[in-house]
Amino acid sequence: MTETAQQVQEEEIDLTAANEVIDKYQDMHGALMPVLQEIQEAYGYIPEETVHLTAERLNVYASQIYGVLTFYAQFHLEPRGKYIIRVCMGTACHVKGAGRIGDTIKEQLGVGHAETTEDLLFTAEYVACIGACGMAPVIMVNDATYGSITVQKTQEVVKKYQAMG
Amino acid sequence: MVNLTIDGKEVTVSKTATIYEAACEAGVHIPVLCYAKKLLPYGACRICLVEVEQMKGRLIPSCTTPVTEGMVVTTTSDEIVKVRKTVLEFLLVNHVVDCPVCDKGGECDLQDLSYEYEVVTNRFEGEKFDLPTDEVNPLIERNMNRCVLCGKCVRVCDEIVGYGSYSFINRGFETKIATAFDRGLNCEFCGQCVSMCPVGAILPRPFKFKARPWQLKEVDSVCGYCGNGCTITLGTKDKKVETIRFNDKTGVNDGNLCIRGRFGYSYVNSDERLTKPLIRKDGELVEASWDEALAAAVEGLKQAGSAAGVISGARLTNEELFLLKNLAAAIGTDNLDNSGGECYKGVTEGLQQTLGLQASTATFPQVENCDAVLSIRSDFYETHPVFGMVVNQAVRRNNAKLSVIADKRGKFTKLPNARTLLHKPGLEVNILNAMARVLLDEGLAKTERLNGVEELKGALADYAPETVAATTGVDAEAIKVAARELAAAENAAILLAYGLPYTAASKELGIAAANLALLTGIAGRPGSGLYLCGEKSNSQGAIDLGILPGAEGMGVQQMLTAATENQLKALYVVGEDMLSSYPDRDAVEQALSKVPFLVVQDIFMSPTAQKAHVVLPAASFAEKNGTVTNAERRLQQLRSAIPSPGEARTDFAILQGLLTGFGQDAAAAPADVFGQLCAATDQYRGIDLEMIGPQGYVWGGDILTPITRNLVPVAGTQPVDAEYQLLVGSSLYHSGTVSTHAKGPQAVVAEAYIEFGREDAKALNIQEGDLVKLRTDAGEIQAKAKVDRRLPQGVLFAPYHFGALKLNKLYRGQAAIPVQVG
Repeated sequence: MTETAQQVQEEEIDLTAANEVIDKYQDMHGALMPVLQEIQEAYGYIPEETVHLTAERLNVYASQIYGVLTFYAQFHLEPRGKYIIRVCMGTACHVKGAGRIGDTIKEQLGVGHAETTEDLLFTAEYVACIGACGMAPVIMVNDATYGSITVQKTQEVVKKYQAMG
Repeated sequence: MVNLTIDGKEVTVSKTATIYEAACEAGVHIPVLCYAKKLLPYGACRICLVEVEQMKGRLIPSCTTPVTEGMVVTTTSDEIVKVRKTVLEFLLVNHVVDCPVCDKGGECDLQDLSYEYEVVTNRFEGEKFDLPTDEVNPLIERNMNRCVLCGKCVRVCDEIVGYGSYSFINRGFETKIATAFDRGLNCEFCGQCVSMCPVGAILPRPFKFKARPWQLKEVDSVCGYCGNGCTITLGTKDKKVETIRFNDKTGVNDGNLCIRGRFGYSYVNSDERLTKPLIRKDGELVEASWDEALAAAVEGLKQAGSAAGVISGARLTNEELFLLKNLAAAIGTDNLDNSGGECYKGVTEGLQQTLGLQASTATFPQVENCDAVLSIRSDFYETHPVFGMVVNQAVRRNNAKLSVIADKRGKFTKLPNARTLLHKPGLEVNILNAMARVLLDEGLAKTERLNGVEELKGALADYAPETVAATTGVDAEAIKVAARELAAAENAAILLAYGLPYTAASKELGIAAANLALLTGIAGRPGSGLYLCGEKSNSQGAIDLGILPGAEGMGVQQMLTAATENQLKALYVVGEDMLSSYPDRDAVEQALSKVPFLVVQDIFMSPTAQKAHVVLPAASFAEKNGTVTNAERRLQQLRSAIPSPGEARTDFAILQGLLTGFGQDAAAAPADVFGQLCAATDQYRGIDLEMIGPQGYVWGGDILTPITRNLVPVAGTQPVDAEYQLLVGSSLYHSGTVSTHAKGPQAVVAEAYIEFGREDAKALNIQEGDLVKLRTDAGEIQAKAKVDRRLPQGVLFAPYHFGALKLNKLYRGQAAIPVQVG
């Protein structure tokens, strides 16, 4: 990306929140992880501009930050939905038809694993066991768990969140 | 010291050594992939596993394990071979074995090890990598399908270069080396990663499909660009320089190079090289024979006699400079000078008045162990990149405290914990004075044995840090801390680069820096040093050999004035494109137009050469034998690697020809002239070619003791009052004007630009790439805009390398030029 393109993008993102996070940790050695976590909390993901800002202010190479961001599954470089739908694909859920649940969400929202709807409302994530095998198949929407779910129930749950907006 | 046994051999090594290093010392071979002498131990590849009797039960990585007393090490056993072979099998599971078309073939560590361990089959199966190659830039190709994840590129870019292009991204099987956001490489293009890569994952693109390694003839020489004097090993095939080979055994640079050294060689192969002498006939330059051209030159210079002038660049060898000086004497003129005649005065007058010396007081490698470093101008990294890497190591590895007196930010100011004294342009002397004042006020100055303490104290009355802070815009506290750190450090260094774009107050800066070096005891103290580094590969040699105005003679500026006033009858210009690079283009143009007889000796048809009456085609550094002296006084040998194109001759041969025309005998070979010049030059007396070993020979020794210790008061200046000020300087990717003929540097920075800070660009509504105009009373220039983060508000920058910009219409030697934008 050219400097100019970068500049244009930077103007689109309000860096105040990121700056505030870095202010807090500026003098702490080895604070990259909490800084990135809090930036993600503030923006919902890690915008590229905040990476360059963090690199500059904490004196860490942008490449190194990118290395950290891609190493940990917890960091996201793309905007994420307001609601994160986790579809359990663990053994028990798999046997009980988790695949169909995933397909249902894909049909309904048009998003597969690690994809986000254009309105930034939903992100789908296929995850390994979430530890609720007794209620397989299971999905989670943010912190709420929906067990023994069916295709129809899934559609209802999704509709509920769509209605909440 | 620690004693241990390796494969039955008793070894005694330093207690900080690793098993691998001990084995190297004992002459025992242990294979490695991720180890590199200049990088910190890493232990990624597990090829160097050995058995240690005291650590039974597992194999030990020899490259990360320190030696202990009585250790008994076995480097080869059936088990070790089995494990190494397995490691290689693992590496080859995903590795694309495309050796037939891989440029690394023949010198690939993985290929060699697979051969050595006879890895014929692989017990494991897996997908081959299928990653796209990075061919976005024209210099460095990255093919991550061949990567073995040794991390050398990541580490060298961090530890040595301090740029940090690379990192490991993702994890597990997906792990690969990438840049931030996995984009194409966009960096300094120093190619350090190329030189470190043990496989064919990072390769020099210009060398692609040019030659197999074993077809290359290697010749060790010295880089022809800056005063750092890096050893470069030219790889030649069919009388052409095809690449620069990695060499960390010779020279001062430990195998490190910048873009100019590694990729800037191609100008020697350029089709634009001058190949035949030219003589002006009926207003046109036409080809002539050497006899004709030399005769014409001799005739013209002879007629001018004492009214002739000789101006040299600082890239000739010492031997050539010596002949040039003899030639000036033969002509009967004292009008002799080099490099614009002003920029080097910090050394020839500044250091002379204070220290009684005309050179840096210490050597480059010492800086790595300094506790405090003061860099005057952030541009130091741009002018002397490889010395900059030494500073980087001092800061990163040894926690040296770095202060940068800077009119713009740069690589140095980004180093960890660097203190940037960001000032309004042209006020370096004010800040150095304030630092001197702090040392004196706080009783930190080592004033015993110094002359002129009281006078200096008096002269610094107006330079209280607070006062200077108000003038310069630097925080007073920062000035104080920088001064205190410099005084407190056991080993400290002060760095200042000079060159054609830095002519303003050069003498004053030299004095102010020397004052500080005296007050802190840096000058002459073992481990510490004051470094005044010349822009060109033999700037120091030109000073040592006295390519300077004689007692009755004129310097460059006076010669130009004299020419304009019809007082100069002939001018002989060697290896210098005055019109493109000297301050005040109009003055140069007028002088060159008026001088009745102009001889220009160069490798390209420069704008200066186009004005000549006689043009003599010269040889590049790659075609020469001789010695050059770098900015730390190190004499090193150039070795001819290829023949000159067409009829071009070395400057040595041309000067011999001219001297013959003056009825003088010049010794037959550079080696003989070296003997003569050593006998005739105080600093070089007693040196002979035999003494110039692989590491060169530093005249005066590692530490040069000041002959005098005079503090000299020197006045600062007032800031320029203008909304926009233009700074002129060097760009990292170029050196002088020659690099604009080299494909490598041109590929990255192809043309002149005017750099704006982001705030200014926004205020002026200027976008990257827009054509912008700058105006002063003296004229107008136009170039594409570059928008960056490093310039303070109201400050613009333009590199001076590109003659076409005619930047020197505006630049007349000022520290900062008030300009109008648009």
